Order: sequence, then structure tokens, then C-alpha cells
Amino acid sequence: MTTLQTDPGMEFLAQRVDGDPAFGCIQCGTCAASCPLGAAMEYPPRQLILQARSGNLDKILSSPSLWMCVGCHTCSSRCPRGIELADDLWPALRDRAMQEGIQPPAELQETFQNIFKYGNSLGESARKRLDWAKELDVPLRDLSKEPTAVEVLWLVCDYPSYYPRNQVVTRDFARILTALGVRWGVLGNKEKAVGDCDRLFGEEGLFEMLVENNKKLFDKHQFEKIVTLDTHSYRALEHFYPRYGAEYPVEHYTTFLADRLDLLKPLLTKPVKATVTYHDNCCIGRRAGIFDQPRMLLEAIPGVKLVEMARNRENALCCGGGGGGMWLDGHIVEHGGQRLSDQRVRQAAEVGAEVLAVSCPLELSRFEDSTKVAGLENKLLVRDIIELLAESMDLGEKEK
Amino acid sequence: MTAHEKESKIGVYICHCGTNISSVIDVHALAEFAKGLPHVVLAREYKYMCSDPGQDLIKKDIAEHELDRVVVAACSPLLHEATFRKAAEMAGLNPFLVQMANIREQVAWVTDDSSGALQKAEAHVAAAVHRVNEHKPLERRSVAITPRVMIVGGGIAGIEAALTLAEADKEVILVEREPSIGGHMSMFDKTFPTLDCAACILTPKMTAVKDEPKIKLMTYSEVESVDGAVGKYKVRVRRKARYVNEDLCVGCMQCIDACVFRKPKFPNEYDQGLALRKPIYVPFPQAVPPVPVIDPKTCLQLTKGKCKQSCVEACGDRNAIELEQEDTVEQFEVGAIIVATGFKTFDPSVMPYYGYGVLPNVYTSLEIERLVNAAGPTGGKLTLHDGSVPKRVGIVHCVGSRDKNYHAYCSKVCCMYSLKLAHLVKEKTDAEIFNFYIDMRTSGKGFEEFYNRVQNEGVHFIRGKVGEIDSAPSNNGEPSNLMTVKVDDTLLGEIRNIEVDMVILAVALEPQPDVDQVRRMFGMSCSADGFFLEKHPKLAPVNTANDGVFLAGVCQGVKDIPDTVAQASAAAAKAMALIDRGYIELEPNTAEIDEEACSGCKICNNLCPYDAIEYDEEKEVSRVIPELCKGCGTCVAACPAQAITGVHFTNAQIFAEIEGALFDAAPAGV
Ligand SMILES: Cc1cc2nc3c(=O)[nH]c(=O)nc-3n(C[C@H](O)[C@H](O)[C@H](O)COP(=O)(O)OP(=O)(O)OC[C@H]3O[C@@H](n4cnc5c(N)ncnc54)[C@H](O)[C@@H]3O)c2cc1C
Ligand code: SF4
Ligand code: SF4
Repeated sequence: MTTLQTDPGMEFLAQRVDGDPAFGCIQCGTCAASCPLGAAMEYPPRQLILQARSGNLDKILSSPSLWMCVGCHTCSSRCPRGIELADDLWPALRDRAMQEGIQPPAELQETFQNIFKYGNSLGESARKRLDWAKELDVPLRDLSKEPTAVEVLWLVCDYPSYYPRNQVVTRDFARILTALGVRWGVLGNKEKAVGDCDRLFGEEGLFEMLVENNKKLFDKHQFEKIVTLDTHSYRALEHFYPRYGAEYPVEHYTTFLADRLDLLKPLLTKPVKATVTYHDNCCIGRRAGIFDQPRMLLEAIPGVKLVEMARNRENALCCGGGGGGMWLDGHIVEHGGQRLSDQRVRQAAEVGAEVLAVSCPLELSRFEDSTKVAGLENKLLVRDIIELLAESMDLGEKEK
Repeated sequence: MTAHEKESKIGVYICHCGTNISSVIDVHALAEFAKGLPHVVLAREYKYMCSDPGQDLIKKDIAEHELDRVVVAACSPLLHEATFRKAAEMAGLNPFLVQMANIREQVAWVTDDSSGALQKAEAHVAAAVHRVNEHKPLERRSVAITPRVMIVGGGIAGIEAALTLAEADKEVILVEREPSIGGHMSMFDKTFPTLDCAACILTPKMTAVKDEPKIKLMTYSEVESVDGAVGKYKVRVRRKARYVNEDLCVGCMQCIDACVFRKPKFPNEYDQGLALRKPIYVPFPQAVPPVPVIDPKTCLQLTKGKCKQSCVEACGDRNAIELEQEDTVEQFEVGAIIVATGFKTFDPSVMPYYGYGVLPNVYTSLEIERLVNAAGPTGGKLTLHDGSVPKRVGIVHCVGSRDKNYHAYCSKVCCMYSLKLAHLVKEKTDAEIFNFYIDMRTSGKGFEEFYNRVQNEGVHFIRGKVGEIDSAPSNNGEPSNLMTVKVDDTLLGEIRNIEVDMVILAVALEPQPDVDQVRRMFGMSCSADGFFLEKHPKLAPVNTANDGVFLAGVCQGVKDIPDTVAQASAAAAKAMALIDRGYIELEPNTAEIDEEACSGCKICNNLCPYDAIEYDEEKEVSRVIPELCKGCGTCVAACPAQAITGVHFTNAQIFAEIEGALFDAAPAGV
């Protein structure tokens, strides 16, 4: 068989993993016009394919726009030819750029270094992994110290472990699990980043290393399923890990709890009087199709009035934190892009929400920051669904 | 062990099929192999066996070498079995003493491994030689055809087919599900590319259907079941209660005026819900038959059992209103059936980023067809929801078409109807118009010229599929109709936000929601796109796999009105060719029950998918009705007494075939 893929661009387009071959692109521009940052990109998604197949691979690799995709998956989900831009094309391009010695934006590089050195994106010490549990008032099973079979291996993940605003939610989840009688355990300071975002950034090598280490770690333990609060970790374990031969039953907390709604409902006694809107994050939403369960949880809380933003479910606007976006804000703004979280909080306020409910750990701080930018600081509260559940169960922390 | 006394003489013919077969299989070696098989007196290879000289080879050999059996190793029997049977018959041989070995589709086309291919081809040829040795001459039976055609679906396809058949003096039953015939074409104001007024060209045809004595028109009716086979289909049709007697009604419409609902209150389905109707209504003024229908879901008498019944009063002595009417079921015997059930339009609300159903001034193309129609709900006046005239209109092509998330196929007519709508909207409103397209597909007579005409009218064409449509940010709180259409202008290389106040979504044409049910009822299949599958994409585009069932119009695949009418005429001609002959020859390949061996258990009667087995109460045995039997073999396998034989699939034939495939062609050493 002869190959026509002699040009590096063509060769590149030929090696797709998910979705349909990029050769089938009809240059319709749906992707570019759907991309929340497309207008600011020198080479929006459509142009990646156009330029790659026209012999201009080097141009796209060296453009700042290579580092502007936030992995929201809007382009892929609408592409009429089923081409997987977000999960495949962008990360592969970034990987290639780095192989060719092109440096990613500094903030992102630092994050790579953190994960490489410390095993977490925040550059915190592994010894502090369990700091969140210091004030915990329910028993915690640290499987790294006392290995035992559990129903749920809870991967706490980076933000929920270290970030003060997230630690509140983390403790609430521990209380909820305990209240539901779930036998759960954590990996203590042995836990390391799962690494979805790294794959999306395009650090394929780093991602592979994380998968390998985590596989070794998980295989030492006995559990029925992994549960995580981190939507990116969920996505990585559910979708990317199996590619490397690491397959584990995994659930995001929203589906895990929604499945136990019968047990949960009687515990939801205290009304939480608020008009709430839910932000569908891209990892469990557009990517994994989990739209109903988060809403089921919210609707089960007495007092909650659920309203929808104009853009919801598969059409939701991204918070801008995915695909490395969390560490690309500076770069994106510098090159003419807008912070999507700023737009999103306004959309929430427009429909009269008092609470913006989220289910992704990156979003708490992102959106809280944006409420300040948008002047909505005291009008719109950002809360994880877990916090609202805990409050209604009268388990919530009394701080604030 | 052979079934005949005389030693048989078999001729084997290997076809090269141009190079289709010979480029993979060593045809010479295959012929040599065939010569060594039992009873084979000669084996030849030839470039095109199906050609005249190829067939002549067979005929000559039958005469000269007294061949009494023939094997042709070539393509699928679906293609040419009939050809070679006929050649043998012309040379005086019973056609059922011919057997084909499929070495093209089943061998040459599925591998490029030559040695493996030769081996497999040998197995096929050996199997065929062994089998044909067990064949017995069979006689075809002929049955009379009922000279009547049923047409299902009264769109332009069904109408055209019905009129064509009636013109040839054939009896037609036209079954339409809705209260009026006309289909989609009757909803349009003008038709591309000539901008003929749809009503002007369609209404006369609709009326002709009603007035034509040869056509029995059954509107508001649906086929319930189909039994029997080609030539004698038995079709049951349910006529839904219309509550107005079609024979007594004179079409004065006074009942509608008199209805206790002073004002129309319920959405008119025909107008895409853009206008209201009363419980008693005609879907549109030119409806055929021009007889009102009462909607049992909204009529007070029919829902609550309590109403003044002012309609009955208004009808007076004509007594056409029959509120007690019930559904009736009638059975018809027909020789052929034409399925012309058309399409439905794609519902764009599943693409939330286009705002359909949320943003008030986002419409589907079909809705706009109604709104620009002089006989439509607004009398042809095109306005936005607030009554103002649109100033900037975006037409989004390929909504639901050419999109793997919905329909991978191109709907073929949308580019053209979008041009038509651009022209009509421009004419009516002088709005600025933007067509957002991926590719302009205007191949057809006069189509490119029409495109050019619309370009010259000043309509904008932007190459890019729309990403999303949002309401435009409002100007200091002022309510506004403005929306932004976000599109990658791929020619400009720029992402643009174009402000418009009306959006028209050029929605796909898709199969009717009940295709599966209809497909099963008429014994058809669907292709990957969901439309009904024709027998052959090039050579039998109006036939289906079920003999005597033909296709016309969009139900077979997307097409415009000219193509629909052409196909409908073709379907009518095919149906006519069938019924005009007066009889059909049935394949003798049926099942036969040995009455001696039959215990009368009736297992077969219940299993036969074609209801082709009857029970003789007197003799207490089952019997196959040859006209209905398709030779599927279900009963043969099921009979506990082994009393049933497939006459062209006897045990002896099948075992011989297996023996040939397994032993004669086995590679050395096995
Ligand atoms: C918005 C729009 C604009 C168009 N404009 C043009 C144009 O300008 N020019 C042009 O050439 N083409 C145009 N077309 C294409 C045109 O509509 C079709 O080519 C044509 O209508 C096909 O006719 P049909 O009879 O096959 O199907 P239909 O018009 O769909 O008719 C099918 C009929 O069958 C009936 N039916 C369905 N199922 C059953 C059942 N089970 N039992 C009984 N009856 C049944 C239906 O009620 C209907 O009356 C347009 C299409 C669209 C969507
Ligand atoms: S949406 Fe898909 S087909 Fe269209 S330009 Fe983008 S990648 Fe190509
Ligand atoms: S994934 Fe989102 S941000 Fe990235 S290119 Fe696609 S639409 Fe744009």
C-alpha cells in the first residue's frame, strides 16, 4: 500500500485515536464558530486541520493560539464529521510542539514541574495530602497506613486536598459518605495527581508516567469502585486510562449520590432557601453526558428553586478552566481572549440565580473570582452541590 | 448415489467478469480443476459469460455435447441466475438444471490472496457440480394477477402515480393518512427553480384524483395489514372516523362557521402550528376532498359528550355530520402496491445552539414556506413574532443534514429551497439576506442559473456552517429582536458575528417516524439513511426486494419534485407492466407436503411467515398453497414428521453440495 501521508502535517492528521479521521473535515467552520475562544485564536480549530494538511504544521505549532484551547469539547461535540478535536487533535499538537522544543506559557510549565516534582499541580508537599482532614469529625480510613478492602476508594485529588476553599467541600463529602453508611477509604499521602489535564495540555509523556504509577498504586488496594469529586480525574480514569491498559470502575460523586437518592432524601431535612442554577462542567457534561444527576440532587434539597441558564446541558458555556485553562488565563487574556468564567457568572445572574451550583473543584475559586470581577460578589454565591446537600443534612460547616 | 438412471453430462463455465474475477483467481486452473469433477464433460472459461457470445457458448454446448446440466461460476445468482437459466431454456434444457457458483462476491472481491482464492473457488465449483447432479426439472406455475394497484401516500408522488395508472385505465386505490392529499408540495407557495406557483400546478392534479372514476380515494386512512403475495395482495385499510360523511357533504363549510367555538383555538398541524383551527376544520382551502373533518381530541361533543351541535344544525337536510361515526376497516385485493409515504422535516430543537423553540424568531424552512404562502396563515405576509417586518434574515443551510450527529446524508433540496426562500423573503420584505452554506449544491436543470439570479438580487452568501445563534446583547435594556449568528467565514478566514432579526433553519428531510412499521408491513428494508431500500441502486430504483411493491418519491431517498414525479411515473409504469401481463410466473422453488407422511399437527401452518399453508379439514393434513409459498424453508425444518420438502432444496441436494465443498475440493493431504 502506498501512503500519501509523507508530509508531516498529513502524517499527523492520519494518526487519530478517537473520533473519525481528520481527513474527512469539510472545512465548515462549525468548530471555530462554536469555540468560545475561537475569535481570539490565530488558528481556531478548523484552521488546525487546514494548515496541517497544507504543509503549515510549523505555523500552528509556534502560534500562541496553540495554548488557548481550554478543552471544553464544544467543537468536537458539534463537528458534523465526528472529528475529535478537543480530546485528540489539540493535545497531540501540543505534545508535538513540546517535542520540537517549543515552550508552553510559563504558568503552565510551572504546573508541569509541580506535578512532576510533587505529584500535584499546586506544588504542595505530599505530606500535607491529608491536611484537609485535620478538622474532620468523622472517622477516616487511610488505606496507605491500614490497607483494607473498601467499597469506595475515594480519590480526593489535588484541589480538594490542598485548596482551602475546596477543603470545606471535601470534609462535607466525607460526612455525607459516612452518613450514607458507605465503607470508604483514601490513599493518604500516597495519592498522586490523576492527570487528565496533563493529557489535555499535551504532556503525553508526563501523563503516561502518572497512569503507570497510579495503576501500580491502585492495584495494591481492594475496592469496588473509585469515586472522585474531580471531574477531570473522573474523565481521565473513565476515558483515557483504559487506553493505557488501566481500567477501573469509576464514578463522579454526582452519579454516585444520585444512585443513592433514596437513602439521601430522608436526610435532606433542612431547607436551603435559594434560587439555584447549575453550571454543567465540560468533563462530566458535554463529554460524558451526565446532565440529569446533578439536577436530581439539587431538586431533592428542600427549599431549592432550580432555574436554568440560557446555555445549559450540552450547550453550556465552559468555565475556561479545563485543558490547562486554569493555568492559561494570563496567556489567553494576553492574546485577546476573555475569561469565560466572567461571562458565565453574568449568565447565572441574568436568570436571577442567587447560588451558582457547581460540581467541579476548579470552579469554586474560578467563579468566586469572577463574581468579584463582575461585581456580583454578594449577589451570587458559588457553592458545590456537596455543600448544599451537607447544609440540608445539617452536616455543613458553620464557618462563614 | 444419483437420482437419475442415465449418467449425467455437466458443463462448467468459468467467467472472468472482465478482470473482476480473473485478476484474483487463476481461471484457467479453475477450469482444469472442474474438468476432473464427476460427470463433468467439459469446462470452459470466458471473459463475459453473461454476454451474448458467452450465453451462446452454453447453448451450443448443450446442442453439440448433449449437456443435461450446467454450472456457471460467476457473480451472485441475484444478478444473473435468470440470464443463464434462460439461455439453457432456449437450448431446450429445463432451467432448473442450471446452478451458479458465486466466485465474485464471495471469493474474488473479498480477498487478494490468489492461492486461497483459487482453493475457495474450487470448493464453490465442486459444490455446485455435486448439487446440480441432484437437480430435477421443475415446472413454473403461473397465476392470474389482480389488475388493481394500491398507492400508499397521497403526496405529489402518490398523486402522479395514481393519475398515470388511471390514464391507462387501471383501477387505483389511493390511501392517504391525512384528511387531504397533497403532501408537502401543497404547503409551498412557489417551487424552485422556476418559481411556479405550487398550488397552480398541484391543485388541478389533486382535483383530477378526486374526479377520476378509476381512482378510489381514501383519505384519513391507513393500511393496517398486508397479506398474500405479488399479483394478489390482500390489504386491509382502516378509514378513521371523520365524523363528516364524504358522500353527503357538498363542501359548503357552513358547519365550520357554525361551530360553537367562535374563534379558531387549536394549532393547525398543517400550518406547522403557526395558525389556529376549530375542532371542525379543513386543513387548507384547496384540500381534497373538500370535506371538513372533526378532531375527536378537541370537539366538545366527542370529548365531553355535551355540545349544542350547531354544526349538525348548520348542515341541515344534508345530514352529512355523523358524530356517531366509527372507524371502518375494508379489505382490498390488489396486484401491485406503490409506496409513496414521503418524509418529515428534521426537528432542530435537538441542536440547542441554534435556539429553535427558545428564540422566538428562529423558524424552520417549512414554517417559512407557510408564512410566505398566499394561502397560508398570514395570507403571505411575512413578519416577526411582534408583527414587524424582518430587516435582516439569516438562512442556515445543512441543519441536520451532512452531520454525523443527525443525518450523514445531504438532503439535496435544501440549497435550492434556501435560494427560493431567499428570493421570496427578499421580494416580500426587501430584507438583507445572508445564506450560510458549506457547499452550494445546485446541480439540476436550471438550478445554477437560479443561484446566479438570486446572487444578482443582492443576497449574501457566506461560506461557513453556523456555530451558534444567540440573542444579541440588548441595548440599554430595550427589548430587541436582534440575534447574533456566529459563523466562521471560511473564505475570509474570520469568525464573524452577524446580526439578524430572523433566522430560517434549512432543516433536513428525514424518514417518516413510522418507517419501520411500514417497512415490515410491505416486506421492504431500509438503507443506512433510514429511507426505503430499492432493489438495485442503479438498475432497479423503483422496485423493492418484495416483488410487486414499488417505491416513489422521497420515501426512497431525498429528491425534489421533478425527480419525484419522474420516479412516480416509473413506478406506475412498472406496476402497469406487471398487472398488464395478466399473470405472473411463480418460481417453482416451493415447499411440498407429502400427505401420506403428514400427521396434521399444524405446526407448519402457524409458523409460515407468508400464510401459505392451509389445512384440509377433511383429510386432516396440511397443504402448501404454491402461489403464496416463497420457499423459505421454515416449515421444512419445523415438520416433526419430515413430511415437507423444499423442492429445489432437497436433502439429497444439500448433502451433495456439502460433499462437493468439503471433499472434492480439499487440498492434498486433508
Ligand atoms: C421546506 C421545503 C421546501 C421545498 N421546496 C421545493 C421546491 O421548491 N421545489 C421542489 O422541487 N422540491 C421542493 N421540496 C422537496 C419536495 O417537498 C419533495 O420533493 C416532495 O414533496 C416529495 O413528495 P412525496 O410525495 O414523495 O412526499 P410528501 O410530500 O411527503 O408526501 C407523502 C404523503 O404520504 C402521506 N403518508 C405518509 N405516511 C403514510 C402512511 N403510512 N399511510 C398513508 N399515507 C401516508 C403523507 O401524509 C403525505 O401526504 C421542498 C422540501 C422542503 C422540506
Ligand atoms: S467542525 Fe469538523 S468538519 Fe467542520 S471545520 Fe471543524 S473539524 Fe472540520
Ligand atoms: S475544545 Fe473548546 S476551547 Fe478547545 S478548540 Fe474546541 S471549542 Fe475551542
